[in-house]
This record gives sequence, structure tokens and C-alpha cells, in this order.
Amino acid sequence: MAQWNDYHHEDEDVDGEERDESGVDYKSTGRDSLVFLVDASKEMFIMGEDEEPSPFDMTMQCVRSVYTSKIISSDKDLVALVFYGTEQSKNPRNSFKHVYIYHDLDLPGARRVQDVDGLRGEKGAQVAGETMGSGNTNLGEALWCCSNLYSDIKLRLSHKRLMIFTCRDTPHGGDSERDRQARTKASDLKETGVVIDLMHLMKPGGFDVSLFFCDVVSPPEDEAELGLQMEPCGKLEDLQKRVRAKEMKKRSVARLNLCLGEGMNVAVGVYITALQARKPNAIKLYRDNNEPVRTKTRLYHTQTGSLLLPSDTKRVQVYAGRQIVMEKDEVDVIKKFSDPGLELIGFKPMERLKLHHHLRSAVFIYPEEEMVTGSACVFTALLRRCSVRNVFALCKYTRIRNSPPRFLALVPQKEEVDDGQAQIAAPGFHGIFLPYADDIRTLDTPQLPTASESQVDKMKEIVHKLRFKYRSDAFENPVLQQHYRNLEALALDLMAPEHIEDLTMPNVNMIDQRLGSLAQEFRDLVYPADYNPEGKTAPKRKPAEAAGGTEKKPKVEMSEDELRGHVQKGNLGKLTVPVLKDACKQFGVKVTGTKKQELIDALTAQLTK
Amino acid sequence: MARSAKTALVLCLDVGFSMSNSAPGQEPPFQQAKKVIQKFVQRQVFAENKDELGLVLFGSDNTKNNLAKDDQYQNISVHRQLMIPNFELLEEIQNDVHPGSQQADWLDALVVCMDLLQNETLGKKYERLNIVMLTDLNTPSSPDQLDIIIGNLKRAGITLQFFLPFPVDGGGSNPPHGGKALSREQQQGLEMTKQVMMSLDEEDGLEEVYTFSDAIEKLSVFKRVEKRPMAWPCTLTIGSSLAIKIVGYKAVCEERPRKSWSVVDAQTHQKDDIKRDVVYCLNDDEETEVQKDDTIQGYRYGSDIVPFSKVDQDQMKYKTDGKSFAVLGFTKQSMINRHQFVGTQVLKVFAPKDDEHAGVALSGLIRALDDLKMVAVVRYVYARNGNPQLGAAFPCIKEKYECLVYIQLPFMEDLRQYSFPSLENNKKYTPSEDQLSAVDSLIDSMMLVEEDKDGVKKDLFKVNHIPNPQYQRLFQCLHHRAVNPSAPLPPMDPWLTTALQRPLAVATRCQAPLEILKKKFPLKEVVKKKELKTSKELFGNSTEEPDAKKAKVDEEEDFNLADITEGSITQVGSVDPARDFRTLIRQKSLPFGEVCQQLTGRIEQLLGNKNMNYYIKCIPCIQTFREQSVQVGNADHYNSYIQSLKTSIPVRGLQEFWDMLVQDALTLINKDEVEGSTFSSHDAKQFLTAGEKKEEVVAAVVDDTGDVDDLLDMM
Repeated sequence: MAQWNDYHHEDEDVDGEERDESGVDYKSTGRDSLVFLVDASKEMFIMGEDEEPSPFDMTMQCVRSVYTSKIISSDKDLVALVFYGTEQSKNPRNSFKHVYIYHDLDLPGARRVQDVDGLRGEKGAQVAGETMGSGNTNLGEALWCCSNLYSDIKLRLSHKRLMIFTCRDTPHGGDSERDRQARTKASDLKETGVVIDLMHLMKPGGFDVSLFFCDVVSPPEDEAELGLQMEPCGKLEDLQKRVRAKEMKKRSVARLNLCLGEGMNVAVGVYITALQARKPNAIKLYRDNNEPVRTKTRLYHTQTGSLLLPSDTKRVQVYAGRQIVMEKDEVDVIKKFSDPGLELIGFKPMERLKLHHHLRSAVFIYPEEEMVTGSACVFTALLRRCSVRNVFALCKYTRIRNSPPRFLALVPQKEEVDDGQAQIAAPGFHGIFLPYADDIRTLDTPQLPTASESQVDKMKEIVHKLRFKYRSDAFENPVLQQHYRNLEALALDLMAPEHIEDLTMPNVNMIDQRLGSLAQEFRDLVYPADYNPEGKTAPKRKPAEAAGGTEKKPKVEMSEDELRGHVQKGNLGKLTVPVLKDACKQFGVKVTGTKKQELIDALTAQLTK
Repeated sequence: MARSAKTALVLCLDVGFSMSNSAPGQEPPFQQAKKVIQKFVQRQVFAENKDELGLVLFGSDNTKNNLAKDDQYQNISVHRQLMIPNFELLEEIQNDVHPGSQQADWLDALVVCMDLLQNETLGKKYERLNIVMLTDLNTPSSPDQLDIIIGNLKRAGITLQFFLPFPVDGGGSNPPHGGKALSREQQQGLEMTKQVMMSLDEEDGLEEVYTFSDAIEKLSVFKRVEKRPMAWPCTLTIGSSLAIKIVGYKAVCEERPRKSWSVVDAQTHQKDDIKRDVVYCLNDDEETEVQKDDTIQGYRYGSDIVPFSKVDQDQMKYKTDGKSFAVLGFTKQSMINRHQFVGTQVLKVFAPKDDEHAGVALSGLIRALDDLKMVAVVRYVYARNGNPQLGAAFPCIKEKYECLVYIQLPFMEDLRQYSFPSLENNKKYTPSEDQLSAVDSLIDSMMLVEEDKDGVKKDLFKVNHIPNPQYQRLFQCLHHRAVNPSAPLPPMDPWLTTALQRPLAVATRCQAPLEILKKKFPLKEVVKKKELKTSKELFGNSTEEPDAKKAKVDEEEDFNLADITEGSITQVGSVDPARDFRTLIRQKSLPFGEVCQQLTGRIEQLLGNKNMNYYIKCIPCIQTFREQSVQVGNADHYNSYIQSLKTSIPVRGLQEFWDMLVQDALTLINKDEVEGSTFSSHDAKQFLTAGEKKEEVVAAVVDDTGDVDDLLDMM
């Protein structure tokens, strides 16, 4: 922690590993794609009660937030925006009527975000009306059109998702021919691996999924008889939450066996549910055309100049002056302890899991029935009993072949759903990484007096005044947001980047107001009158602070007499440099140097005149 | 504190002949003691500190020390003066230190060590002087000098440690090792040892007497060099008017190796012989190289690439105004999900050591939070140019201290809100009562925390007491390779393997419940078809029928990559029925008739939509159907389908589609094409035209899909 740079480097190191762990390698898995198929019928533009935005407006806000979040967190994913039930048509051969492709399947960029912005609000509705209008609905054609979008993509797509946003449960108004056509097309799409979701919005009288859409959307993953029947979304927040939950493909970083004992292997997937999003690395561009350049790293021999293959090199570390040489393979194999997997060590009561035993983001463990049938049942039984008995399972975790083992505390989490039947907590185990002896540092703890009851009570009042409901998704990362706003502004030639609201800043005014006199009362209880909690502990920093803030200076102003006394006695040397400097200022003594002797000399000269 | 503070230490090893004596089947004390020394020196070498080490052997055949005169201080040899330990010393210990055939008084040896320490540390600064005595105490020694020696030790500030083959308190009456009672000399020596140790440190003196086996176990663990915790002074603020001075320390953080591997030339082992060089090149065919100076910095913004110079970036980026630990508000501890912790460290936050008032104020906050079961949500900034974090400060009250525990919380961008299929609502996965109780007994048998008879809870597996196995293994290998450069790497230390396994007691206890569990829960590994294909089908038969394989490959080139990537086709799908059909025919995994039936089913389904787009899709299906039938030499299915299709045209109002068939001349397969066909080429031609003349009867659109099934039945 000595240097910021050190600190930063450490972070980067970890980053490398984490990136490893997130395991999203597009080369091997292909890209994710998402098509927004949005109803543009008149009903979608009707404003809700209490100034609720219209379903269309809500959808556009959602689309926008997905666009921007894709740019930030998964910039290789493809996204498309298609409207159906429009008056105008716009698609490659214009063979589909009343289908308007607003954005082709592609990476979202600044321009697209701006486009979607243009469709928001009242103005947006107007724009939509002018460019597309509302007309007949033929969902079958729309779906067909979307399937062409997928097939036109030359890249390999790993995950294909289509989200239908609508507030009409009978889009064809009872035209069974069209209904059937849509169903057929939907099943075609599903067959090619497209997952169709319905983001149904509030409709007066309720949205009845069973009338039509139940046959169109993909069945829930679990094929359970009691699949979650979701209520329609009435609020933007709910819609966003629902879209966000589906928008990203669940990708396991590893599929492993959870070994309960010899011959008892349960297949599980390991997922990452929280991972620090970071600013992406800069890319190098050629100055003349702003095209990215590729970098090639070459290894060559200094003497002969010949290029070296990795096999022409070895690895060394030096200890006590001796160079210890190993092959690259040996360096790798040293890290190998056991085959990839999770090995159950035993169980411990929950209270044995220490809060401060935290090393990195946890992983989430969920059964993989497709690998070992019967896994889900064992897993469910284990989950239930661990949860009821309030114990966690301790496991040894080896992620890949040459990764050294780590121990995980598998903490059970039961499924929870909200009022709208949307899942807020998934069933499974959270894997908490536990520290080894080396990871825990010994600190000398200061011996200090503790607070009295009245002091604690006063603080309780303060705490009480400043209570709020923490939500993990309520805070945006201001650094990232600023970075992307900057890029957005540059990409769109905006005068200035859009202002960001920094939610990590305390709302000082509000806090002060809520506390009122409480802060002063607490201060009076714990601090003596002459104590300044904001003063720096190190006295040498005082002048620096004095230069900045002028209001509080508990400085020792020395009277002229006092100083003269020092000069006469010749013990100016006992004063500190800052005091001497202040004295110089006080008496208007100009000093050229900052050395103590120079200060003393200057002062003596001045005062003995 | 002076970082350079170092220790001077003399290892004093008894190599006298009694050290080689041992009960049958037991390792002689000499070997044990040698191991202790090796492990210790090894640890010192890798710790790379400035501590100096000397080695004195006594009972050796030769004599080499400053005090030796006449018959005094004989058979005591200073093997190595005080030096920073290195691999040479390790090698010497391994190769040159052998048991001797003499005996020497361990008190004499102690005096030699003291002399060595005092002479060689003269005028230099050491934090600690220490002598480590490894002996079996099996030599008669004269206690008359004892008081003088103790006095000298005290005066010089030298500390003493003893390593013995037997425990100090097990004493004479209760022989601890191998049933061999202590000799008279040993008992006497033990008494003297106790006397020395107690007089140096009345209370804890005996704690510095160890047994060899204990020491080997402890020293086997490579101790990482302790990093001095760096203080992070800051001010905790609540609004503008409440501030508490604090100091934060990293308390938990993944420790990484201090050294990394550097790359050297394989032949010369010289780092300087290798140069790494990065070149930039354009993305064109020639891969034109460009100079680094001709490149600028940019970022991706989705599909856009935005040039963004470092200067601009620095100017526009988010800036913080210095370190901060500012409270945003307080929330219930239950609102913070432990699994959402992010970041790679945990900070413990105290008040500054010398600031009582801050201590009281912070204690007030900690206790208030603890009582209310709440946490402070804070904005944390490490330094001026650091990124702000959001985190939770939990109260932590321990017997000896109080502090806040700070852990970073996620930003919205960090979260991936996946939803997973329910496990509760799925009947297939619901375990029976029977199964649940089997799991229960497994949990019972595998509890790692148990109460002993005094009600004290004992944890059998404390992860935070295990040294990171990665480093243990790394140092083991480094050491081995340093001393034996050409030997292969050693196997893993057994103690390390054991330390990472289920404790033996638990492993035995859970056997029975595990067997029951296995019976109650059937598990079956799913064998993936894909995997089979790659391993067996592709390589397995390649030697037997090389021609067939080649033909297969040739054929495969016609098919696009999607075929392979989409996985194996098992039936005719609705997306590209023609392609699926072709593939299935080629694979021959299904009988021809069945594949034809699947295809016609799809065609009927498509025709059911009565839409031009669907008709267009049907044409290639029929084309392929015909083509493949001719190739296979079986016209029956095709001909009978086309015939029945024709008859149904008027009823189903498919005239438009029929016209398209006529246009593409998709007629019956005739005798010339396939021998088995019953039609001549003339018949076949007639077949199409004949239809045209038929009057367009009632094009009553039958909406029902029922007719499709009927049609299929007819075939």
C-alpha cells in the first residue's frame, strides 16, 4: 500500500486472473445476440395513469439501458431493434409488411444509443408516429423477418434471444390464421435455438398470456409443470429488472463434479454473479486513418538476432544469489494439485463463516442435470438440508487443470420470488473463497478506551436518522460512467459529455439537515473542547493545510517578545521548521532557503537589528 | 523502526556418536536434527532477509575453534562463521555433515557458540542474538561453570533454544520415545537445561525447548515473509460536521508470490540473451509495420472506435478530491448480501494509536452499529487519483479490540442478475423424505466442528491455518531444483497432501452414510454424442477404410459449417428441412422411408400456412426429395407423395403452389432415372400437364389442420 502504483498493480494482477475466471472467450463460444421485437401499435403509446410513461416509452428506456450496458459490459454482443404492427415497412427485400427494422443485428454504438434516445418521451412517440406509424399486425411475418436477421449474420452466434415487448395479449384480434402462422414461425425460431421471451406490459383488464403468447414464447428452462407465471410489468423498474435478468446469457465459468465422496459425483456449473466491471484497455490506432493496429510480440536472441520459439526459453528465479532454472511446463505443473472439481471436505455451522474472510467475488453453484442425471435431485436435497440446518459445506475447489486449490464455503440460498413472481434469489450455493494462513495479516491493534453508554446512545440516534434501504444495484460506477459518457460525446461530436450523477458522493446537505444538532451533541460527548478531529495527525503537514483552508488555524502564534527571548538565549534551534517559517512570515523576513539554519540565521538577523 | 534489524544465530549441532543410536525402526536423533537444520536454513534462504547464521558441530572428529587449547574444547568445530545463509550452506549440510565418533560436552559447545557470536557481531547492530542447541544431552557435562555461563548469556543478551529428541516435561520416569528410558547423563543434562532456560526466562523459558519431531512439522511450512502492515490514515466523516480520525490496515488479502519467473535463453540461461519486442502493424494483407509514434490511443464504444488521447482522457476523466471514508448512510446488516462482496481485500479500521478521543468516538459508532445490527455504507477513496469504491463498514467487537471491517460492495455494472430454474417446483428434482434423511446423516457424519467432552468446540479443518499450498509446493520445488539442478521435480510433500484432504476421522465416519446415499440417489453420467463422434467415429475407423473416410470428407465440404456447429441432426426440422433431409440420408442413421415421411410431414406443415413465403420454402424440399430419391434409387416414396399431393390440390386450394412445381418441372421420377419406377418419361411429363387442365373446383379454404394428418395417413 506504500505506493499508489503498487496498489494499482496488485489490482491488475487480480484482474488478469478474474478475467480468466469469467471465461468468456468469444473465439470459442461465439457471440451472444439479442433482438428486441417491439409492438408499435396505437395501444403501446397510451400513457399510463399517474403520468406513468407509455409502454412504448418504457420499452425504449429499457432498450437504451440494455444498449449502454452492452457497450460497457459485453461489447461483443449483437443487438437488433425491430418494430411490428407499424404502418411503414422497412426490411431488406421489403417482403414483410408492417415490420420495421430500426436497427440491424450489430454491435450497439453511440449512434444507435442516440437513435433510441430519439424515440423516448413524448417527442419520441411523435417521431415514431412519423417514421413508422401504427398499422396492421402480423407477428408471424415479424418473427420471420427476425429469423432472417439471425441467418444473415456470418459470425457464429452462441446464444440467440428474442424479446417481444407488447401490451396486447391478442395481437391479431382473433385472426386464427395469423395466430397459427405466428405460432409456426415461433416454433421454427425456437428450433434454431432462439429463446423467445415475452416482456408483457400492463394492459387495462389484465394481460392474459394463455390467450396466445403461451404458445409463442420458449418454455421455462426447468420444464416444470409449475413454471413461473409472471405478472405483466407496470413499472419501468420492474421491466428493466426483468430484461436485465434475461438479457445476458448465463455462462458457467466451469462445469465440474462436486464430489461428495468416492464414487458420488454430482455435476455442477460454476457461475459468476458479481464481477468488477473495469474500463476496457485502450487500443492502438494508426494515426493516419484511425484504424486499429495489431500488435505482435516477438522474442529474439540478442546475440544472433534470430527469432526464438517459446521452447527456446526457460524460466528462472533467483534466491540467495543462485539462479534456479525450470522448464515452462514445470512451472505450470507445479501449480497442479488435483483434477478440476469440487471436493467436499465436510460441513460447518454457519456462524463459523467469518465475515472478514473475503478474498474475491463469490461464485454461484447450480446443478448440471445434462451432464449427470440425478445431480439436481442430490443438489436439491443437499441445499434444503444445509439451509434448514444452517450449515455450510466446505469444499476444495480446483477450477482448471493447473490451478492450485482454494477452499470454498458453499452457503445455501433458497429461491425467493417477488410479488410479480420474478426471481430475486436463485436456488443454489454461493461459493465464498476462504483465505489461507498467508492471506491473513497480523496487525497490532491499538489499545484505546471504549465509548460509554451515553455516547453510544447518542450515536444510535445519529445512525437512526441516516437509515436507508441499501440496494446493490442502486449505485453506478462513476468512473466507468464518466469514461463512457466521454466516449459517447466524442463519438457523437457532442459539445460536452452528458453530466453524470455521482451516487457515491454523500449528500452532505441532506445529512447535515437530518442530523441537526445531533452531530454537535455527539462531538461534545466524545471530544474535549480543544480537540480538532479534522486536523492532521502529523504536525509536519500543518502548513500545507494552512495554505489551503484559512478558517481554522490552531497555530501557535508567537509573540515578538517570546521570539526575541529565543533569539537572545540563542535557542531558536529548539523550534521546529514550520514554526520558524511561520515566524518568518509573521515578521516579514524573506528567506531564500528552507533549511533550518537558514531560517534561524534570517530571523536572528532581522530581530537583532 | 529499523527495517535493517537482523538476527545473528548459531546452530549448534551435536554430531557425537550417541546421536546415531536409536531404537529399531526409529530415525536416529542425528538424522532428525539434520532435517531440522535443513528445513530451517532452507526457510531462511527463501525468506531472503539479512539474518546471519553460523554452524557449530560438536562431537566431531576434528577440532576447529578459537578456544581450543591443550585438551580444552576438543572435538568442537566451527563449521561456518556468521554469514547470510545460502544454497552452499544447504549443500554442505547435506553432503558434509555426518555423525562423528566422538563426544563433546554440550556446555563447552555452548561456550564456543557464545564466543563466536560475540566476536563476530562486534561493532555491528543486531536486533537479536540466538543460539540453537540440537543435542540428545547424552554426554557428561560439568555443571560447575553453569552459573558463569548463564551470567554471560544474560549479559550479552543472547537467547537460547533447545531441540531435543524427547520432550522436556515427559522426564525420566515416563519414557516417551520407543520405550527407551533416558540415560543418567540425559537426566542430568535435562536438569541443567531446565536450569539454564528457567534462569534466562523464569516463566516461559521451557517453551523454548522443542522436540525434533515437533520442529520438523513446524518448519516444513515455508513461512512467508511477513509484510509490515501499512497504515492508511484518513478521516471518517458523517456529513460536514462529524469527523473521526481513523487508520485503516489491510487485514485479509490474497498474498501473491513476491518473485515472478523471468524468461531466459534455454541454452545459456542468460536473461540478457533474450529480447522481447513489440511491433505494431496495420490490419492489411502485407501486415505493414508502423512506428509506435504513429499510433494513437483509442477506445471501443460498442461498434465505434473512438480516438481518445491520453491527454484528453486525463482531462476529462472522473476525478476525486483525495482520500475519503465518507458515510453515505446506514443500513441493516441483513440488507447486505455476503455473496455480493467484491474487491480483493478487507480493511480493518481503527482509531490512531495515540488518539484516545478518536478511539472513544469510533467506539461509539462501532457499538451503536453492533447494537442496532446495522452497517455504514461508505464512499472509499484510497488516494487522490484512486477510483472511488462503495463499501460497507461492519462493526467488529473483539475481546482485545474494536474496529470497523470495510469490504467493497458492487456497483450496478458489476452485477449479473441471472435467474435460474426453480429447484423447489420441479417434481423431478424433489427429493423424498427418505433421501433427505440420508443427506442428513451424511451432514451429521461430516461435521467438522465438534464439541469435546468439556463442551469446548473444536474445528477439525481450519482453512485459515493452512499455508497456501501453492507456495509450499513452489518453494519445495525451488529448493529441490537449486540443490539438484538436473533431477526431476520431487513429488508433493505428504504432509501437504494430507493437509488438503478430508480429515481422517471424518473420512472414516462418513463411509457408511455415503454408501447409503449412493444407493438412494442414482446418478448417471450422460455420454455426449458429440464427444463420441470426435473420438471414435473420426479416428477409430480411419485406418480400416481410408477410402471411405476420404469420400466422406469430400462430401462434407458441400455442407456449411452450421451443420457441424449445430450438433448432429437427428430429424428433419422446420428451418431448413431440405438440408436436414440430405444430411439424414447421408448419415443413414434412419431408414430411408422414415426420413421421407419426416420430410413430407414438414412440407405439409409449411403448405398449411398458404402463404407465398412458405411455398417458396417448399420448393427446394421437393427438389431435394426428388434428387435424393434418384440418387438412392428408390422412387416409391417420392412418386406416391407427389401423386397424392396432386389429388389434394383442388381441395386445399394449393393451385398457386402446384403452378410453381410445374414451373420447376418437378415431375414424377421415371423409369430411366430409377429402375424401380413404374412411370415412363412420357407418363411423368403428362402427369404435370394433366393437372393443369383440371377445372379449378371449389377452392374452399379449409382452415382446419386436420387434413394434413389425413393426407399423411393416406400415404
